[in-house]
Amino acid sequence: MSAVSVPFSFNRLALIASNTFLEAVRQRLFNFLLLLAIGLVASAQFFRDFNFGSSELKFIADFGFGALIFFGSALTITATAQLFFSEIENRTALTLLAKPIWRAEFVFGKFLGVFSVIGVFCALTIGLMMALLWHREGQLMAANPEAFEAGRIMRYGDLFMVGVLQWLKFGVLSAIVLLIASFSNTNLYTVVTGFFALVICHLQYLARDSWGNVDSLILRSVVRLLSFVFPNFQLFNLSDEIGQGAGLDPMLAGRVALYAVVYIAVIGGLAVYSFRNREI
Amino acid sequence: MNTSIPAISIQGLTKDFAVTLRGVKLRAVDDLSLQVEEGQVFGLLGPNGSGKSTTIKIILGLLEATVGEVKVFGVPSHQVESRRNVGYLPEAPYFYRYLSGYELVRFYARVCGVPKAQLKARVDDVIDWVGLSQAANRRVGTYSKGMLQRIGLAQALVHDPKLIVLDEPTAGVDPVGSAEMCELILKLKRQGKTVLITSHLLAQIEDVCDRVAILDHGKLMVEGSLLELVGQRDRQALIVDPLPASDIEALREWLASRGHVLNAIEQPRARLDQLFLSKISRAGHLGGNPGVGSNVVPKSSVPKSSSSAPSFTPKA
Ligand SMILES: Nc1ncnc2c1ncn2[C@@H]1O[C@H](COP(=O)(O)OP(=O)(O)OP(=O)(O)O)[C@@H](O)[C@H]1O
Ligand SMILES: [Mg+2]
Repeated sequence: MSAVSVPFSFNRLALIASNTFLEAVRQRLFNFLLLLAIGLVASAQFFRDFNFGSSELKFIADFGFGALIFFGSALTITATAQLFFSEIENRTALTLLAKPIWRAEFVFGKFLGVFSVIGVFCALTIGLMMALLWHREGQLMAANPEAFEAGRIMRYGDLFMVGVLQWLKFGVLSAIVLLIASFSNTNLYTVVTGFFALVICHLQYLARDSWGNVDSLILRSVVRLLSFVFPNFQLFNLSDEIGQGAGLDPMLAGRVALYAVVYIAVIGGLAVYSFRNREI
Repeated sequence: MNTSIPAISIQGLTKDFAVTLRGVKLRAVDDLSLQVEEGQVFGLLGPNGSGKSTTIKIILGLLEATVGEVKVFGVPSHQVESRRNVGYLPEAPYFYRYLSGYELVRFYARVCGVPKAQLKARVDDVIDWVGLSQAANRRVGTYSKGMLQRIGLAQALVHDPKLIVLDEPTAGVDPVGSAEMCELILKLKRQGKTVLITSHLLAQIEDVCDRVAILDHGKLMVEGSLLELVGQRDRQALIVDPLPASDIEALREWLASRGHVLNAIEQPRARLDQLFLSKISRAGHLGGNPGVGSNVVPKSSVPKSSSSAPSFTPKA
C-alpha cells in the first residue's frame, strides 16, 4: 500500500480545538465560569474578620484551592462530556469525520479545546485568589508591620505552580472522560462514570496505604494494579507545601507535571483507539 | 485523468447492525455490488429503511463494512485518503449552530486544506452559488430546513471535490429550491464531477440521473441507465389540438389501414410543480436568488400600492 498521503496534521487538530473552544465561548459557558470564580473568591472574604494574621492568608489559599479542585473537577467532567456529545448528538461529527481527517485529530482536538476552557477557569480562579491574597496581605502588613519584617510571606510563584499542576490534573481527568465518552452512548452515562473515576483517582491512595501491604497476594496485586491503572490525584495536592514552609520543590512539581503528561498521552491514545472503530 | 478507475466501486457489501444485546442482527445492506463511473450522476433509490444512507456512510468511512469491499477512486473507504476528493451532504443535516454560515463553510474549507490564499474567494463563491449570500452572516442556528440543506451543499463543495455524495438533498426544500438543486447537479456534471444522490422525489431524479439503482431491504433490485429502465421505445405520443369524435374515428381507421393501433387518448396536464414554478416570482437560477431568508422588513413599511396601479398607460 502507498505511503500515507494524508499525514496527521496539527493544523487540523488546532482547528478542531479552537472550534470546540469557540463553542464554549458562544454557548455562554464562560459567563457562568466567571460568575463562579468571582463567587468563590468573594466568599473567601467572609473569613477576613477572623484576623488570624498570617494563618488567615493560608486559610484563604486553602479555601481557594479547595474550591478550585471541587468546581474544576465538576466542570471538567461535564464540559468534556457535553462538548464531545454535542458533536455526536447533533450529528455534526458525521460531516466532520467525512472529511479527510484522522480520528486521532478529532479526539485530541476535542481534548485540547476542553483543556483550554478549563485553563481559562483555572487562570480566573487562581488570578482572582492571588489578587485577593495580595490585597489582604497588604492590609495585614500595614496593621502589623513587625510580623512582616522580611517582606511578603506568601509565595505567589508557588501558588501559580500549584494552579498549573491542578490544571494538568484536570487534563488527566478530561482524558479519562473522553475515553469513557469514546465508547459510551449517552452523555449521562459518561458524566456519572466520570465522577466514579474521579472518586477512585482521589481515593486510590487510601486503598494502597491500607491494603497494599496485606498478606493476601491476590488482594495486594489487585490494589497495585488499580493504583497503576488509575492515576493518583492525591499527588497533585501540593498546596500544603506552600505558604510558610520551605516552599514548593521545583523538582517535585516537575515530576508531577510529567506524571500528568504521560497519563494524558496514554489515556488519550486509548481514547483514540476506542473511537477509531466507533460507528458514527 | 485515469478514467479506468471507477469513482465508487462496491463489491459484495453486507452490513449488519447489532440491534439487541442478545446479538440479534439487522441486515441493513445485503450483498450489494455497484459501480459508479467517473462523471456520472448516479441515483440510489429505495423506500425508507432500504439501506441507502447506510451504504453512503460506508462509502465515507463513517461505518465499517461487515463483509465486502468499498473503494473510492481505487482507495479502500476506511482509509483517510479515500475522503480527500469527496464532498458529503448528510441527510437532514445539522451544523454548529453557534457559527455563522460564513464561518461554518470557512471552517470546513480549512479542515479540507483549502490554501489560505484562496480561502475567502472559495467560501464566498460557494455561498453565492447556493444562494445564501444574504444570510451568510446569520447564525446557522437560525436557519430554516431548506437553508440548512443549502449551507450543507456549500460545505460539501467548498474544497472542489471530484465526487459529491448527496443524501436526500431536496428533503425539506421547496420546489423552487429543488429545481435549483437539480440545475446545480447538472452544472456539476458538466464540470465533470461524479454525483451520487439519493432521493424519494423520483421525478427529480429522473431529470438529472444517468443511471439509477433501486434498493429494497438492502438488496439491489435493479440497476441501469434511465433509458434502459424506463424508456418505452415501442411507443410514441402525439399531441394535437382537440379533435371531434368523428375525426378520432377516422384517424383510428386510417391508422388501422396502415397496420398501427391507437392505444390511448388522454388529456395532457401540466405538472403541478411546473405550475408552481411559473407562479412563483423568484428567478429560477442559482446564485441570483435573493429570496432565501432575506424577507427584510423595509424600514418605512408603507403599504405598496397594488400592482394594478402601473397598468394605467397613457394613450397618446
Ligand atoms: N446505527 C444503526 N443501528 C442499528 N440499525 C441501524 C442503524 N443505522 C441504520 N439502521 C437500520 O438499517 C436500515 C437501513 O437504514 P438506512 O438509514 O440506511 O435507510 P435509508 O434507505 O437511508 O432510509 P430513509 O429513506 O428513511 O433515509 C434500517 O432498518 C435502519 O433501522
Ligand atoms: Mg436515509
